[in-house]
Amino acid sequence: MLPVSFVQALQVLTVLVAAPGINGVVSRVQARLQGRRGTRLLQPYYDIGKWFRKEALAPVGASWVFLAAPLVAMTCYLTVPLLIPVLTTFPLPLAYLGDILGGGFILALASFVVAVAAAGTGSPYAQLGASRAKTFSAITEPVVLFVVFTVAIVTGTDLPYALARTVRASADQIVRPAHLLAAAALFLVILYETGRIPVETHTGSNEFGMIEEARPFEHSGPYLALLRWGSAMKQLILFVIFINVFVAPWGLASDASVLAVGLAILALVGKSALLGVGIAVIDDSFAKLRLFKITEFVAAAFMLAVLAVFTLYFGGG
Amino acid sequence: MGHLAQGIAEPPGSYAGLTTVLAVLMLVIEFGMLQATLLRAQVRLYAAQSVVISVLAVVVAATRHVPGLYGLAAFSVALKVVAVPLVMLRLLRRTNQEIAGSRALGVASMVLLAVAVAAFGFFASARFRLASPVLPATALAVAVAIVLVSFVLMIMRRDVVSQAVGFFVLENGVSLASLVVAASLPLILEVAFLFDLLVAVVVFGVLIRLHHLRSETLSTSQLTELRG
Amino acid sequence: MTVVLVLLALLPLVAAALSLVPGRAVAPAVSVGVGLACLGLALTLVPAAARGPVGIGFLRVDAISVVFLLGTAFLYAATAVYSVGYLRGEREREGWVRYSRWFWTGLDLFAWAMLCAPLMDGLALLWIAVEITTVVSALLVALDGTRRSAEAAWKYVLIASSGLGIALLATIVMYHAGASVLGASYDLSFPPLLSAGSALPHPAVELAFVLAVVGFGTKVGLFPVHTWLPDAHSEAPTPVSALLSGSLLAVSFYAVLRYYQVAVATLGGSFPRVVLLVFGMLSLLLAAVYLVEQRNLKRLLAYSSVEHMGILAIGVSFGAPLAFAGVLLHVLSHAAAKGNAFFGAGVLVRACGSKQIGRIRGGFDRLPWTAPLFLFTILALSAMPPFGLFRSEFQIVAGGLGSAHDAPAAAMVALVTLAFLGLSLATTRMLFLPGADSPGAAAAPRGEPSAWMVAPMLVGILALLVLGLHPPDALTDLLTRGAAELGGAR
Repeated sequence: MLPVSFVQALQVLTVLVAAPGINGVVSRVQARLQGRRGTRLLQPYYDIGKWFRKEALAPVGASWVFLAAPLVAMTCYLTVPLLIPVLTTFPLPLAYLGDILGGGFILALASFVVAVAAAGTGSPYAQLGASRAKTFSAITEPVVLFVVFTVAIVTGTDLPYALARTVRASADQIVRPAHLLAAAALFLVILYETGRIPVETHTGSNEFGMIEEARPFEHSGPYLALLRWGSAMKQLILFVIFINVFVAPWGLASDASVLAVGLAILALVGKSALLGVGIAVIDDSFAKLRLFKITEFVAAAFMLAVLAVFTLYFGGG
Repeated sequence: MGHLAQGIAEPPGSYAGLTTVLAVLMLVIEFGMLQATLLRAQVRLYAAQSVVISVLAVVVAATRHVPGLYGLAAFSVALKVVAVPLVMLRLLRRTNQEIAGSRALGVASMVLLAVAVAAFGFFASARFRLASPVLPATALAVAVAIVLVSFVLMIMRRDVVSQAVGFFVLENGVSLASLVVAASLPLILEVAFLFDLLVAVVVFGVLIRLHHLRSETLSTSQLTELRG
Repeated sequence: MTVVLVLLALLPLVAAALSLVPGRAVAPAVSVGVGLACLGLALTLVPAAARGPVGIGFLRVDAISVVFLLGTAFLYAATAVYSVGYLRGEREREGWVRYSRWFWTGLDLFAWAMLCAPLMDGLALLWIAVEITTVVSALLVALDGTRRSAEAAWKYVLIASSGLGIALLATIVMYHAGASVLGASYDLSFPPLLSAGSALPHPAVELAFVLAVVGFGTKVGLFPVHTWLPDAHSEAPTPVSALLSGSLLAVSFYAVLRYYQVAVATLGGSFPRVVLLVFGMLSLLLAAVYLVEQRNLKRLLAYSSVEHMGILAIGVSFGAPLAFAGVLLHVLSHAAAKGNAFFGAGVLVRACGSKQIGRIRGGFDRLPWTAPLFLFTILALSAMPPFGLFRSEFQIVAGGLGSAHDAPAAAMVALVTLAFLGLSLATTRMLFLPGADSPGAAAAPRGEPSAWMVAPMLVGILALLVLGLHPPDALTDLLTRGAAELGGAR
């Protein structure tokens, strides 16, 4: 039996370590789909390592926020895995620090400081990215709220662990419309939040359509490394919420034994990689939306989330 | 709404859940139509929606032992999935127009409006509490929402094809409602309703062609001569 | 008697088929013949239906349906005769042979569907018949093939079909209500539904009634779903306008009446009456206002139809036997009067070459027969004595006052007066103002375009006089019986 606090730390570590790897998987699969050989799976780690060795520069006139933002964001991303069921079915001690809403707030805080830092640089690209990100999140935030409402109505609490337990409880929970609609809405939000097609091109050249990718434009060296790593972690955190809370909360450790936790880590990485493959396929089969069409995309997510609450409110959802 | 007070909404069971999901899927497809820009895409979405309702009919027929619904499903596949879309697509090929007419509102506002309208439908039909032995009442609420949103579709779209498709969607919504509250409706009546739809389609087709012939566009923005 | 029902449901269909036969004389002869035959058949039903329902298979008539049958059959015959003259005047039209063939076929089919609606025993079949009237009449509206008629037909078919979609929903909900009491194999026929009465689930019947009023109300032309009506009426060929206005609206109103019967049997009177009162009052208000400001003759008459449909709804909402009888009489008189008005308008439009009221001048100088007949018709439409509409509206108002509906009855009288103002202003201008604004008008030939077009108007005025002065006893019995059925008797 592992100490519970150790498992708790393992949750954070798993996310920290596995996050860039998921990016590697996605870009590898994507390259294969496009007929290229693609980079190594571990390439993101090398990139981060390289950035850590580079010198850091800050634009003239940038405030302290510019330098603090990567650290704050990273801290946020390290906090959230404490709250959600990354490895275990049972709530770990610190899980009660915050509910799903609290987790959302922490993620939003990270995104906020990065945006503020980008806005302070004076670089047009970074500012565009920051302002766009905030514009569209004006719609995605309510979507997340509605998803949370759905969860709350279904489970009676807004603890992510509780929902995962409810979903595991019976097949009825999975086919219920509210659950499917909320999961679909969440999936669209994840596509938006992680900067995937059809919202933006995740990797590639600089262009006007960038949102998520444009924000760390002025950062360099270790700061850039932290931001990139952070955004990889954010992606994995969202994946974990999607998988372990909504879609497939199986393969989690039901006790703190070494074997169970080890298997849970493997399962998590496997499931996330699978989801990554799915996202790569979507990335490959759709075209990027024009910027002003993105409102339609997030409006669709909003519609799904609202329908989820409606079906519940009406009963029979 | 009573169950909200209890804190936890119990799952509806897999049959009710599945059927409601199919119904909701129809509504979601309709929202897709609000967004679709290409006329062809509209027609295809309509066909997809008809597939869903046929599947729903089959599911009900199989699990609730209403054999008449198999016939209905077959008819509705033949008519709504094959015949109507084919007629519409042929019409479109002849008119050489691909892009739907301008919308009275932007897509996002239209979706928000439609969500509001659908919400009204949900709560309005909740008031009547029509119990059905066959399908959950939520499906009825969804059907009412589909009908109401189809009005948004017809009013906000300014071209004849989208408006016609809007009407067909309305009919789909009514079919869904009839699955819920009148699954055992004598088959002959159901078929008569569908046949009627066929006639309506022919008339819509004739009038669309006439409209195109006279004004050389599918848009309805110039249909403003008659007023007062 | 049952043979009559079958014949009524078949003859117009046969006429439609025969109208497709090439040869110029066949279609008019067949249609006029069948039209007159249908009128005769409908008349033979009057005494029988006054005694009680007659039925065979899925055909069934009671006093209410015979009233509507009678109005439709009368207008079918009159329109068929009028159309002979109308089509002769269209000879210069390109592709006249094809035009007239489709015209006759469409007219017969249209009349067939409208005759079938009151004959059908059952809400589902009734809905189907009304839907057929929509598709056929939409094509007839588009028959002229102009841009304006295409626009009118499109609006009509879209709005009316959507309305009927709602009505279908009403039908289904009513089936649900019926099946919950009468078992799943219930086929929506009236008598079991009426006798089930208060056993039916109330919410379902409430919902079905409201949906039916909105749905069928679209075709009745009730506010706010009347918007297709002026367009379609003004752009359709004139005989079709007459049928649309005189029969189609009434037949759709018949559908509303059927739901009203069930709703009253289940819910009691107050709820359905309030619904009808609101819709009727709003329609009457709208029509009265638009009548004063109208510049297009055929649209003027169309709004007058909205007015009269509003009156029908209000009359039913009073819930008094006297008002019910008035409503049924109103259906008949309105059919005759509105048919006549459109016939006259058609002649005026043809003589002056315009539908604009401002361009139609000097009617009395040009049209020795049509002008006075049109004048009388408009007076009849405005419910002047001694015509049928005076009697019917009087009965409705008296029924309203007698059943303590003073305020609605008073409002109705005021609005009808306003409508009279609008109608009579326009008419006097058209008929009595000399055609000074167009110098060529003086040279216009004095004389009627066709005797075929005048004869039905003459008959119509005579019918209105008979209805107003002294309705035949058989008819009075029928109306009394119909009023009793509306009041709940079976």
